[in-house]
Formats: sequence, structure tokens, C-alpha cells
Amino acid sequence: MMKFAKTLTSAAALTIAGSAAMAADCTVKVGVLHSLSGTMAISETTLKDTMLMLVDQQNAKGGVLGCDLEAVVVDPASDWPLFAEKARELLTVSKVDVIFGSWTSVSRKSALPVLEELNGLLFYPVQYEGEESSKNVFYTGAAPNQQAIPAVDYFLEELGVEKFALLGTDYVYPRTTNNILEQYLQDNGIAKDDIFVNYTPFGHSDWATIVADVVALGEDGKSVGVISTINGDANIGFYKELAAAGISADDIPVVAFSVGEEELSGLDTANLEGHLAAWNYFQSAESDVNAEFIDAWKAFAGEERVTNDPMEAHFIGFNMWVNAVEEAGTADVDAVRTAMYGQEFPNLTGGTAVMLPNHHLAKPVLIGEIQADGQFDIISKTTEVPGDAWTDFLPASAVLKSDWKELGCGMYNTETSSCVQIKSNY
Amino acid sequence: MIRIFIMVLALMCLPPTAHAQELQSLLQDHQKSIAKPSRKTVGPALAALVASGLSNVPEFLENWQAKEVYSRKDDGLFFYGVKSTDGLVLTDIDAKDVVATVDPKTAQQIKPNGGVRKEIASALVQFQLSDPDLTRRTGAVDAIARNMAGSMLAPLMGSIDNEPDANLKARKEKLANYLNARFGANSEDRIASIEKIADDLSVDGRAILSQILATKFEVTEGATKANLAATFVVGKDISRSEAYDLLVSEKGLPPVLSDNELRLALEDHVEGGKIAGIPIAQLNDLTKRNTVYDALVTEGLVPERATDASIDAALNRYQIHNVFLEQDRAVTDAAVKAQSSVQTRVGVNQFFDLSLDAVSLASIYFLAAVGLAITFGVMGVINMAHGEFIMMGAYTGYVVQQFVPNYTASLIVALPLAFIVTFAAGVAMERLVIRWLYNRPLETLLATFGISIALQQLAKNIFGTQARPLTSPGWLDGAWIINDVVQISYIRIAIFVLALLFLGLLLFILKKTRLGLEVRAVTQNPRMAASMGINPDKIKMMTFGLGSGIAGIAGVAIGLFAKVTSEMGSDYIVQSFMTVVVGGVGNVWGTLAGAAMIGTFQKGVEWLNPSNTLAAQTYMILFIILFIQFRPKGIIALKGRAAGD
Amino acid sequence: MRKSFFAENPSVLWFLACLGLFTLGVTVLAEATGAGVISTSFVKTLGKVLCLCLIAIAMDVVWGYCGILSLGHFAFFGIGGYAVGMWLMYARTEAIVTQNLAERTIPPTPTEINDAIATQIFGVVGSTEFPMIWAFSHSLALQLLLVVLVPGLLALVFGWLAFRSRVTGVYLSILTQAMTLALALYLFQNDSGLRGNNGLSGLQNIPGFEAIPQSVISMAFFWASAVALGLGYVLFARVLSGKMGSVIRAIRDGEARVRFLGYHVESYKLFIFTLTAVVAGIAGALYYPQAGIINPAEVAPIASIYLAVWVAIGGRGRLYGAVIGTAFVSLLSSWFTGGGAPNINLGFYTIQWTEWWLVLLGVSFVAVTLFFPGGIGMIFEKLKRNAS
Repeated sequence: MMKFAKTLTSAAALTIAGSAAMAADCTVKVGVLHSLSGTMAISETTLKDTMLMLVDQQNAKGGVLGCDLEAVVVDPASDWPLFAEKARELLTVSKVDVIFGSWTSVSRKSALPVLEELNGLLFYPVQYEGEESSKNVFYTGAAPNQQAIPAVDYFLEELGVEKFALLGTDYVYPRTTNNILEQYLQDNGIAKDDIFVNYTPFGHSDWATIVADVVALGEDGKSVGVISTINGDANIGFYKELAAAGISADDIPVVAFSVGEEELSGLDTANLEGHLAAWNYFQSAESDVNAEFIDAWKAFAGEERVTNDPMEAHFIGFNMWVNAVEEAGTADVDAVRTAMYGQEFPNLTGGTAVMLPNHHLAKPVLIGEIQADGQFDIISKTTEVPGDAWTDFLPASAVLKSDWKELGCGMYNTETSSCVQIKSNY
Repeated sequence: MIRIFIMVLALMCLPPTAHAQELQSLLQDHQKSIAKPSRKTVGPALAALVASGLSNVPEFLENWQAKEVYSRKDDGLFFYGVKSTDGLVLTDIDAKDVVATVDPKTAQQIKPNGGVRKEIASALVQFQLSDPDLTRRTGAVDAIARNMAGSMLAPLMGSIDNEPDANLKARKEKLANYLNARFGANSEDRIASIEKIADDLSVDGRAILSQILATKFEVTEGATKANLAATFVVGKDISRSEAYDLLVSEKGLPPVLSDNELRLALEDHVEGGKIAGIPIAQLNDLTKRNTVYDALVTEGLVPERATDASIDAALNRYQIHNVFLEQDRAVTDAAVKAQSSVQTRVGVNQFFDLSLDAVSLASIYFLAAVGLAITFGVMGVINMAHGEFIMMGAYTGYVVQQFVPNYTASLIVALPLAFIVTFAAGVAMERLVIRWLYNRPLETLLATFGISIALQQLAKNIFGTQARPLTSPGWLDGAWIINDVVQISYIRIAIFVLALLFLGLLLFILKKTRLGLEVRAVTQNPRMAASMGINPDKIKMMTFGLGSGIAGIAGVAIGLFAKVTSEMGSDYIVQSFMTVVVGGVGNVWGTLAGAAMIGTFQKGVEWLNPSNTLAAQTYMILFIILFIQFRPKGIIALKGRAAGD
Repeated sequence: MRKSFFAENPSVLWFLACLGLFTLGVTVLAEATGAGVISTSFVKTLGKVLCLCLIAIAMDVVWGYCGILSLGHFAFFGIGGYAVGMWLMYARTEAIVTQNLAERTIPPTPTEINDAIATQIFGVVGSTEFPMIWAFSHSLALQLLLVVLVPGLLALVFGWLAFRSRVTGVYLSILTQAMTLALALYLFQNDSGLRGNNGLSGLQNIPGFEAIPQSVISMAFFWASAVALGLGYVLFARVLSGKMGSVIRAIRDGEARVRFLGYHVESYKLFIFTLTAVVAGIAGALYYPQAGIINPAEVAPIASIYLAVWVAIGGRGRLYGAVIGTAFVSLLSSWFTGGGAPNINLGFYTIQWTEWWLVLLGVSFVAVTLFFPGGIGMIFEKLKRNAS
């Protein structure tokens, strides 16, 4: 048993070292905490590959602080408790300096207590529901005000939608996002009766009734729009049913927050032209850095692979981290965190991302229309929107503020001028 | 070429106007709102374009809508652009000749968004309503249907008489009727139109009625002079707090303080640890806080708050009415009558629509479970890998589509191939694993579960974790539209037909063929059957193969309407077992009954609670559990010795 | 009586001795208390494995001895975890909230405190009110009672209904599977009031012990799990010995005959089903504070099937077999998925174990059921027979 335990701990992490023969007695370790098996492997494997590519690229440029970077990849297998276990393993056994990882909110919430206990550093690359701010996490994906709110504004302003169907998979991200949106819509003069909310299970496939319900919403003469937070595979059935019912984007536009290039590769988009998605990045963005990134990615992972928003988030997060380490002169977590504030790095879509004291990025919001080739045509791009950890549209959160630089608190109540808690709420 | 021809025709339809101005210079006047169009700001530019009467305006609008207009970055001039291998070919808007082929980076493609495209479409309506091209006329009618503005009524009426296409003419007349009901000149006309809508089921028709009947709140002391829809009774039609909130906003009464607002107001008046003479330590109680606040009110330090008494008084004083925006009583009366007749009919039709959905869901459950009805129901083998056979079928469909690009042909190849592949897999599994475990049913469960997770992971390793496209042929796209409420997609009808075919086929095989006779003999008494010269091994192998093969075909069908992933099988496996158990084991009719019951029940719960599909599934399973407790042998229970134990 | 019990069942003593040695060994080598060879994360893994062993012996009793293949025991495990998790979340949040509210100028009302706790806990799923089922969450004692009571009652009602209607064999398996699926779906709904898919998290932080490092807390839970496993083992061995054990085994081998002999089969089955459910609940209550998070995926049907597989691989009808099977498979699984196993390069193809491990596992189930129906436990049996 003991010998077994030893093998287990010593070999606990699959190590993929950069092969460049450098004086590697001072490697800096980068943990990669993405599921490689189970339900989330669909999305997360791509991010693991992205991280390996970025580490390779950085090593080719000479690493950081003259040291080689070493990626330590573990597989939490889409099993949420395993995220906590593997995070602990990465921080205590492999002794990594930073972790890039997680996709679902629940996996992040699982790893959070461990990160805060051991003072680790996590870069979280996916759009999420906000309402959280941890000293040990940098959120490089979009907060609701960087994706959902601008998309709803677009519906209200540009498409003149007066009645909303909020369709989502029944989990935290859609629940919280829809909550915020419901309040936001009511603040913007949409009556409560004009907001239809529906939740379906993961992987739902029987969409006929729901699509019929949405069509029937138009019976009072208001123009209807769908805000979709439907996750993963379930989108395929949903869009197929939408196409079968002959609903064009001109009749009932659908804007999705979880449908990107990867998801579209699972279906024929000919009937979906004109439906929308909101992200901070689309592969179709025209810029030189983006073209370079796509070329590098295709060379690394294969010609048929596409790029997507969380990949850009990792790209920005990783480069900011590298610059912060160089600036701090050490990979020590506290020093790096201080150096992170105000870090700037060019977005792949043009413009510059800035790391804010609330651990979120300021990024532009793009809205794209689905095209027949499975790519998005960008039809709207905002200026950089600063990410907001606590939404302004829910009364309980409106008074909260996150500022780790000046206030040293992620959950600061501006009404009472006190810090509610230093740890994050998980 | 065609474009020029159409343009000439369009020219002929337009009143002749002098070319006082070039289109380009007009566009430059509105450079900004055309280069960066937004729904709210594009109006003046569109109005100016339409009003100019220039002959090439319709062409420009169409190109603009199709994202084919470019703006040169140097000077902001607009061109039509086409991307070619050499670069971007720019064409002059007025002269229609190629200006240059440039680097795409030097010109900005103008991408009007959906809202702007709708506005452009509306502006194009008057040019297109009488266009010789049918698709353009249809497009114009679509644009009117999406934007039912009063201004459309006259041009639409004008275009009806000369409409050559009968279908489109009918649509135009219907639309004109809608518009007339809402925007018509006199009451009699409108009422006549409204009465025509009374037997209309379409969403558009219902929308028109709702718009005519749009209401607003009115707060009065005493009766209202407006066209009254209803007067609210507080506590019945409208809750007390809602009613008071309305009075607050309409009549400026003091608002109800929330607990938090109360606390914040008090916190502003702390003096030496006391508020209005009461120590703050005592204020951990809401009634005390209210008392203190009232004390502050008398001191004039804070605004008055609403109390129960003041709310009652206010509600007694004022009446809250719902009044129609439409002033004409006769019109609203007619619309109310029409609406109630429409609503009854819509209700009935929605029930039919839901029933169709239930039938469709039942046929999907049946299709997924029918293979199990044989392997589990007839042979008693628990095959946890059944879902993976469904998956194998779906992936077979996907692979075939990679080699046969024609979707119809690929489907014709895929269906039998999926059967063959899963039949072979089933036979292999039966030979290698299951036949050793016939007298240990619980262990079959474990072994097949092992096969299930191995197959699932294999599929992931081979096809990747991302969902794979399995596209249905064009003739299965779209839906069978019975009326504006009741419709069902063709792919679901196809699945329904497939389910019926399987039912017939299985009944035929089991009841009318030699194989079926032998199967029944072997399952009822293998030894006796063997002594009658039947080879039980072979029969069991064939039966298992048959059940698996059917799962493969079901996989293709399910993949067509939903998704193809390595986990699709596990989505159906538990449901399928329950379908078989609920229906009654050992009987194909039972599986049908089980699927019908589960499908209907689930749709029923969804109808009761449309916003939570997950709840519907939970209740369905609870229902199944209870059902089995009270009818352990299922809906259609076998009687006699065949039932076994 | 007690003496004769151990004398009759020497394997119980053997097991307890092994468990004791193992616990001591881990303690000596752990970070918190000794040499530091075993990391805290591995102590947590081992503690969790012990809890899984506990539910595995419960499964072995109900399946291996009584012949009821329950594919729903993880539902009870999950309920135990949720029950204890509710208190952990409530108490932790209450401490934060009261401390924060105390900083206000005016002291908070009880409603304000309650609302603030609710917002803190449920804000993440977009709700601000306490659902009914959290009524007892303020009290550790009551929630611990629920750990035993809810699984027990659920098993009692479910079992009573099922056994009364003579639902047996694979039907019962499917029915129990439906039960755990229904529970998982119910928990998945945000409206159910247990934070939907996010579940309860941060459970490793024990309120009142924030100052104590996780290395020590994990050790405490490791010991508690070991003690629970030991007690559970003795309890089940005791239940299975003597006349009662014989009746139970007889039910497995020929239910109808036992019934004809005049025994009330349903009562025996119900007793075993309920008792094992209670033990499963306790195992869950110990497991989740070590895992740190519980969410509906934990009670999905697949978990209970894995449980059956562990028992099968370890060897049904032997309590120690269940323990061996569980420890072996779950540790091996974590070794393979953790990337610990070296990849095999075949020249034309590299076998990556993170991808191929499940295939290997699946094939080995088949192999075990086909060729080693006695599982690993059988090997021990053979060794013992050879020795004597």
C-alpha cells in the first residue's frame, strides 16, 4: 500500500516538459486543470491544447525569467469534487506557480476553497454568471455585463424586441444570468408578463413544445426575441427544431451565450443564418494578431480545428501572467497578483484588454450572426467594457464592489463601507 | 445582367423624375448613418433615399441589405463590392462600372444588422410590391407582415388587384384585412375586417386583435370617461401592494418603505447612540423601527411613509380601471367578441398540437425501447449497452454521410448499414458474453454495463468528444403545417412512421414467422424447444441480433432529429428500460403502451408547468415508480406460465 | 455472546487489525502528524475511499447476502452528504453574516440576519429565500439526525412499497435506479432549494475549526471514516451471523422457499434494505466534508452502478471482498485518470491512459463477471484454503 501511495503521489501529474534543451534547473510550473474525459471534455480538451501551445510558444521565446515553463496537466474528469482534489494536488504535490483551468461554475466553486486555503492562482477563461470575487482567481472570461447585458441592449435598441423568451439549461450560469436579465429588462420598461423563462435539463432533445410556446408569444403583436443560455449538445436539437418550424432570424431572433464555433461544428447551419451569438471573440475577427493565432493553432492542433472565445481568454490571461511574472521578477503568487493589476495586452479582435483591480478584464463585446459556413459575421462591436464582478441590477449585489488593489476586498459593501468577507462565497 | 434587366423594369414602374442628383452625393449627405447604420438613426437616411426618386435607389437598398456595399476608407465613398481572388472588386454605384480592384483592407464592408435590414425591407416595400419577380413581391409582403404599420395599408391595397399569383394575392388580401382592422378609415370597415379575423388562428391575426384591444391603467376618483375595459377589484384582480404601487406612481402618494430603506433612513439620524431618543441597541426589531421612524416624521426629519391605514384610505378613495387605448366602443366590442372566439379555437388547437407532440415523444421513446422489448422483454437479458447500440447506429449514419454526400442517398445506405453493424455487434456480444450468463441475469447487467462504458469511451477516442453532424435530407426539413397552431416537423413524422413500421415488423416476425415461433418457444421453455429440434443457441443469437439491429436504426433516426454524441445512448437507456417495464415485459404492444403513457404524461406535466421541463421529467419518473408498485407486471401483463417470475 | 461472535468470525478480527494497522501507518506517514510522505490530498483520497468502502459493504450486504441488486444506494449516500452539507454551509455563512451585520449602525433584526444568510447561500443560484427543507439547517444535531432519518425513511417507504408488491430481481434494480434518477433530477432543479447543479460547496471548511489547517482536519476525517468503517463492518458481520444471517442468505438463494417455510421474507428484506440505507447515509455524511462539494451528479444512476461493480470485482458475499474491490478500483481509477500511469507508445499509436482507462475498466468488468465471478475475494479464499 505504502509503495503504491508513493508511486501515486510522485507520479500524480503527467508532466509535459518543453523539449527545448535549456538550463532547466529553474522551471516555472504551469498547472492545467481541464477535464480531458467525461461530459465537459468536449469543451475543455481544446483549452488544454491551447495552454500547451501557449507554453510551447513561450518556451520558444525563452521562457520566463530565463527559466523554462513546464505544463503540468491533470484530468479532473468532469467530476466536480475532483477539481478540488486535483487543485490541491497541483498546488501541494506538483507545486505549480499558477493554474489555468476550469470551465463550469460548479468546478470553479469546487476548486475555490482549496485555492484560497493554499493561496494558489487560477485563471478562469469562461464567460460566467458573476456574483463572485476571489483573491486567488483572475476571471478572463466575460462577466454578465460583458456579454448578456450588451446582447440584450442590442435586442432592445437594434432589433426592437419587446417580448423576451429566456431559454436556458437548468444550472447556475443560466439561472443567475436570467435573474439579472429579468431585472434589467424590467428596469428598461419590459413588463414581467412579457418575459417567458424556461429551463431544460442538460442534453435536452425534445424541443417541439418549447419552440411552439415561443412562437405563441407573438400573439399580442409584440416582437419576440430569444435569449438562449442553452448549454452544449442541447443546442443542436434546439436549432434543428427552430429550423424545422421555419422560424427565421427575421421573425424571432435568437441570441446565444454558449454557442460558439465549436458547437456549430455539430450541425448544419444553413437554416440558422442570421441568428446571433454574443462573445468577446469570434474566429472571424479581422486582425493580424488573430490571423497569426489561428495559423499557429491550426499548425499545432490540426487544420480542421476552430478557435473560440475561451481560447482567447487563455491567450490574454497567459500572456498577462507572463508579463506580470517578468515585472515582479518572481513567480510568487502575491507578487504576481500585485503586478497583474493594470496589465495590458492586445486583444485578438483589436484594442487592448486591461486587468482591473476586481480581477476582471476590460474587453470589447462582439455580436455575430451565424453564417452558412459555421462562422460568425461580426455585426456589432462595442468599445472595451470593464467586467463587473457584482451586477448592478440585483438589489443585493448592487451595493457590493470588488477591489483587491485598494480595498483588499472582493465583497465590499459600499453602503456600510465594510468588507463582507475576504474569502469568496462558494 | 439579370440585375440590370430588373432595374430597367423597376425603372419603368417608377414615376419619371429628373436626375437632379447623383445617388452617391445623396449617400454622402448621410454618410455616417449609412456606413454605421443603426435601427434608430437610419430612418432619415432611408426617407431621403426613398423621397429622392432616384432610379437606382431600390438596387442600392437591396445591395445594402445583402451586405454588398463597401465604403472606401480614404474618402468614405460607397461602392458595390465583390470579393474575388485578386482582391475586392469595387463597382461605382451610379455609373455601374468597375472602378478598381483593391486590397480588402482599404474598404470597409457595411454590415447592416437585423434591425436595420428590417427597416430597409420596409423602405423597399413600395418598390417591390408590384415587382414582376415573385420572390421580391413575397419579400415585400413578408416585410409588411413583420412590420404592420398603417402607412403600408394604401400601397398594399393598391397592389392587390394586379397581383397575378393567386397564393400571394390571398396573402395580400389577408394582410390588408389585418391592417384595415387596425388602421381602417371608418368603424364599419374596421368592424367588418375584425369579424373576418374571428375565424383566423394565425399569430398575426391574434396580434392584431390584441393590439386593437391594448389597454392602460387609469386611476380616477369615481367613474372613468374613457373606453372602459374593466374596473379592478383590489385583492381579486390586482394585489393590494400592486394597486398601491400604482397609486404611488400615478398620484404621488408616499411610497411603502422597504425594510432596508427604513433602516437606511434611520441610520441618517443617529445622535449620540440614539435615534429620536431611543438607544439604537433596542432597534433590532421592526415594529420599534417603525415607531422611531414615525417619531422622526412628526419632527419633520423624514418624509411620511405609507402605513396600513393610509394605504386603506387611498385604496378606498381611488378606483383603478383598465381602459382601452382605442376610443371607439363599437370597434372594441367587435374585437372582444372576435378575440374570445379565436381564443377558444386556439385553445382547442393547442391541445391538438400538444397531443401531436406527445405522440411524437412517445414514438421516440418507443423507437429507443423497441430493441429492448426484444432483448429484455422477450429474452429477459438486461442489456445496459443497448444505448450504445443506438449510438453506434447514429455514428454509422455520420460516417456514411462523410462518404455519400447526397443526404437522401446516404440515408438509404445508412439505415440498412446501421442495422448490419449493430446486428453484428449484438451477435458478437451475445456469443462472447451474454450466452455464458443466461442463468445469472443480474450479472448480465454488470457485464453489459462494462461493455457500455468501454464502447462509449471507444466512440470518444475515435470520433472525438464534440457532437457530430447528421443532417436530414432536404425533403425532411420543415414542418407539416395543419393550421397556424398545429404543426409538426417532418422528421418527427418520419420517426413516427418508422416506429409504426417497427411495430408491424416485430409483430409479424414474432407472430407469423417460423423464427418468431421458435423465439417464443425457446423463451418459454428452452429444453422443450430443444427437444423439438430447435437450436436454442442459434435462436437466441438471432433474436439478440435483431433487437440490437433495431437499436441501430433507431440511432440513425434519433441522430437525425437530435444529436450524435458518444453519450447519446446513456440519455435513453434508463428511460427505455422504464418504458419496457411500465408497458409490460414480453410484449411489443406493452412497450407501445408504455411509451404512449410516458410520452403523454410528460407532455401533460409540461403543459401544466411550461417553464420547467426538468420538473416534468422528475414527476414522470416518480409516477413510473409508483405505477410499478401498484402494477408490477406493467400495463399489459402476460398471463399464465409464460409470465414466469 | 460477544466472544463467541468474534470466535465464529475470525475474519472480522483480521479485518479490524488490518484496518487499524493501515490507519496507523497512514497517520505516521502523513503530513500533519508524521513523516510527510503522504500528502494531505492523498489523505483526503484515502479517507474518501474508506467511506466508499463503508457504502460498499452495505451494498454487499443488500446484494451479495440478501440478493437485492439495488442500483440506488448512492441516493442514500448523497442524502447523507446533503444533510450534513446544509449545516456546514449554514453555520459557515451565519458566522460571516453576523460578523458583517454587527458592523451596521443599527443592530440587525432576526429577519435581516436570516435574509442575509439566505442571500449569501442562494445568491449564487439567483434566489434570496430559505426553502422549507432548510428548516433545521441551523442545528448540527438535527441535521445529523436527518443523516440517519431521511435515508432510513426513504428506504423504508420505498422498500415497503416495492417488497409488498413483490417487485424482485431486475425489476427492482430498475426501480431503484429510477429512484436515484428521480432524486438526481429533483436536485438538479434550482427550485428544489439545494442550489441545483452547483450543489453545496466549501464543505471542507468546518465552522468553528477555521484556524486548524486542512492537513489536521483531513486526518480527523480519515480517522472518523476508519472508525465508521470498522463499526459498520462489525455491525454487518453481527447481523449476518447466527440465524438471521442464515435466513437472509436463504432469501437470496430461494426466496419462494423461505416464504413457504413461514418466514416473513418482506420484513427481512425491508430491514436489510433500510439498515444499509442508513449506513450509506452515514458514509455519505463522512465523505462529502472530505470531498468539499456535493452536487446532483453524485447521485446520478451511474454512481450506483459503479458501486455494484466495485462489489462484484471485490467479490460478492464477502464483506472484505467489497472493501478490497472498492479500494482497488477507485484508487486505480484515480491513478489512471490522474495521468499517473505511463503512456504506452506502440510506434504507430500512443495509448494515453486518460483516454483508454475506461475501455480497460469496462473490459475488466466483463472479464470478472465471466471468469472470476468470485472476484478478488475468491483469491483470498483460495489462499486460505491452500494454507489450511
